[in-house]
Amino acid sequence: MSTVTTATATATATVLAASPQTSVSEAVVFWIVAPVAIAAALAMVFSRHAVHAALLLVVDFFCLAVLYAAQDAPFLAAVQVIVYTGAIMILFLFVLMLVGVDSSDSLVETLRGQRVAAAALALGFVVLLIGAIGSATLQMPSQGLAAANAEGNVIGIARLLFTRYVFAFEATSALLITAALGAMVLAHKEQVVPRVSQREMSRRRFAGAHPTPYPSPGVFARHDAVDTPALLPDGTAAEPRPPVLEGSSNQAGRAGDPAGPGATGSGS
Amino acid sequence: MTPTDIPAPSIAYGPLWPMIAVFLAAAIGVLVEAFVPARRRRPVHLVVALAGLTGGLVAVALVARNHHHPTLIAERAVAVDGPTLFIQGTLLLLGIAAVLLLGERSLDSTGGTFVAAAAVVPGSRGERQLTASSTMQTEVFPLAMFALGGMLLFPASNNLLLMFVALEILSLPLYLLAGLARRRRLLSQEAAVKYFLLGAFSSAFFLYGIAMLYGYAGSVDLGAIFTATGTVGSNDTLLYLGIALLSVGLLFKIGAAPFQNWTPDVYQGSPTPVTALMASGTKVAAFGALLRVFYVAFGPVRWDWRPLMWGVAILTMGVGAVLAITQTDVKRMLAYSSIAHAGFILTGVVALNRSGLSGSLFYLLAYGFSTLGAFAIVTLVRDADGEATHLSQWRGLGRRSPALAGIFALFLLAFAGIPLTSGFTSKFAVFSAAISSGATGLVVVGLIASAVAAFFYVRVIVLMFFEAPAPDGPTIAVPSVLTYGAIALAFAVTVVLGVIPGPLFTLADKAALFVR
Amino acid sequence: MTPAYYLFLSAILFTIGVLGFLLRRNAIVVFMCVELMLNSVNLSLVTFARMNGTLDGQIMAFFVMVVAAAEVVVGLAIIVSIFRTRRSASVDDANLLKY
Repeated sequence: MSTVTTATATATATVLAASPQTSVSEAVVFWIVAPVAIAAALAMVFSRHAVHAALLLVVDFFCLAVLYAAQDAPFLAAVQVIVYTGAIMILFLFVLMLVGVDSSDSLVETLRGQRVAAAALALGFVVLLIGAIGSATLQMPSQGLAAANAEGNVIGIARLLFTRYVFAFEATSALLITAALGAMVLAHKEQVVPRVSQREMSRRRFAGAHPTPYPSPGVFARHDAVDTPALLPDGTAAEPRPPVLEGSSNQAGRAGDPAGPGATGSGS
Repeated sequence: MTPTDIPAPSIAYGPLWPMIAVFLAAAIGVLVEAFVPARRRRPVHLVVALAGLTGGLVAVALVARNHHHPTLIAERAVAVDGPTLFIQGTLLLLGIAAVLLLGERSLDSTGGTFVAAAAVVPGSRGERQLTASSTMQTEVFPLAMFALGGMLLFPASNNLLLMFVALEILSLPLYLLAGLARRRRLLSQEAAVKYFLLGAFSSAFFLYGIAMLYGYAGSVDLGAIFTATGTVGSNDTLLYLGIALLSVGLLFKIGAAPFQNWTPDVYQGSPTPVTALMASGTKVAAFGALLRVFYVAFGPVRWDWRPLMWGVAILTMGVGAVLAITQTDVKRMLAYSSIAHAGFILTGVVALNRSGLSGSLFYLLAYGFSTLGAFAIVTLVRDADGEATHLSQWRGLGRRSPALAGIFALFLLAFAGIPLTSGFTSKFAVFSAAISSGATGLVVVGLIASAVAAFFYVRVIVLMFFEAPAPDGPTIAVPSVLTYGAIALAFAVTVVLGVIPGPLFTLADKAALFVR
Repeated sequence: MTPAYYLFLSAILFTIGVLGFLLRRNAIVVFMCVELMLNSVNLSLVTFARMNGTLDGQIMAFFVMVVAAAEVVVGLAIIVSIFRTRRSASVDDANLLKY
């Protein structure tokens, strides 16, 4: 890959030295990949389903990787695939699965006119950007990376990374420690009370008042979760109620409100 | 040529020690978290953090003594000059006060302002058990130290890439810290999400600005951008785009209008010691970076960006002063006041001369301590639900606790810019600098905004001293020596800079020279 | 075609990211839009690197990826923690903080 693109670049550099034109093959790649990238990005923004959005974003990242490779950045193309699509997007998907993949986004407008305003704003912004960038760069000569990549792209990057940008490289370590520490803080729970063994649990159960299983939720129940109380024909909960699960955040919603926890999300 | 002959970079670690000390303390804090038993962690963390900050302060003093000539070190990535050292010294002092507040735990009967275990869901039975216990999430200390390290690096960066990395180093821990309040955890978590999403959004703009400037100058070194701005080229639009987009990122961090929306929510939701750190430290660091970028790189094109900054400054002062009046919550009120102050400091930036720079530096130090002290006092006024931040609960506070209310009134007077407080001297400094650079209109707006804001501060003082306290009003918690220390430091700085501002003025003036 | 076309593509993708940020309500999708913005900036950086004939732009894109990785870890941790509390990742439901 890298030799091909480097060769293309060298050819471009020799034939069209300092000319803004790119080679035909590169133009073909661009005109195939760029529409796909834009379509995928738009589809991501307008897809109802978060998982679809994530997968469309992966498509976008792949398109960008191709464009990096086309522009003499084989190292970045590889890193893009390995880090972005391989690690970051997998993390996104992982979290999406964790927090409930069925939570499709409602596309109902809550702020009146917000969508139109946002679209108008975005249109104005993109016109401004393209106009400004176009006026500056359409005639700008392209130096090409043939000289900079003479020893190979990776070595060229290493040269800069370990000389001019070495301090930024060192500073990044603070960022990585912070990230690890942050994930620990928000996800890791220290065991404050000793874990109850199975033997201990069964001992407690038989020593307690209710050794038999709890009544099952039954035909009147709206939920069949284990912590849902069985309902009597008049709608009241049968005694004894099942024990409330430790750490369940919506226990109140489940035990008291048969309409279920889904309705309690509004938080108002 | 083989890859092995990459020349070793010269870094000159000496002047980097202020940052290294803080990062080292942060790293040791992580190790403490791993190896010290839970009961003893908090005091150990306190010692480590304070040692790191004090070490950094000593390092700043040594560097200032030994390096009379400003230099660029670490392959031109870090600038060691007057403003860097002044701001780093300010940040380290503020950091010491903020760490004292973080370590306070005798306020709440259950201990600390930080959550016992962030991973436990709020409202669950496990959480109630933990809240009653005296545990706390001690990771806040290393996180705060990493944030402080990023703050030290942010205004010292001489290339935009390092500045971006520093911006993230200071932001990521703050996003996390914002969500770790012990009481009102939903509010705190929402503040964290809001801060994070908007912060990431603004840093994307910052980065796009960097890309444009790189396209314009062919380098991200501030000196190289300065050189490029001296030449007339066809691609100047890239420069203007770059300045605009970069400013979005920086103005977001300082909380200037129209990017101020996050400030009140995040300040209100975060644990108050973290709010104190954000309101003082982040503001100082971000202004340091803003000053460096605009003074070092964009000086030659000042006629192009100054009208824009005029507008931002006027809008910021107006929004901050007017919206502060409508607030009923002390923390939100202080947040809007911090927005207004961002506008006042921006007048110093717009001045773009040596007195503007020294005035801004002075203002940052003075304001940083007043705001930190004000938030420290907010932690002390409590009722059964934690901090009592509604203004109506502060009614008659002066009769219950005259000393505390008196100190708070002093901070408010400093915000209002009453003579004999640090606020007056600093406002005088930036406004006179702005007038000397011809920005008289801006100063008029600034004076009007100050008058509007002063009305509100005085109203709070009247509320505290001349109205009868409510019978079920909040109590004043008796803190440990830690909070007293932080308040005393803030109080002393506010008074001393009001009465004898001369020495610090001289220091700021001597420091006010950027290296390029 | 000139390399400036890559910059146009980058501007369009950046704007689509901004649009998504403004329109979407699911915090995770909003965050994905920020990632799209960062990636479009990377494309600009790589293109400018080629136009300027220096590798600094590629280095910067590399750093952006590293920073983004750390940011994703922190951001998703925060989003998951609020989700576990509220059982919803919609930013509309995050409304305790009002003017």
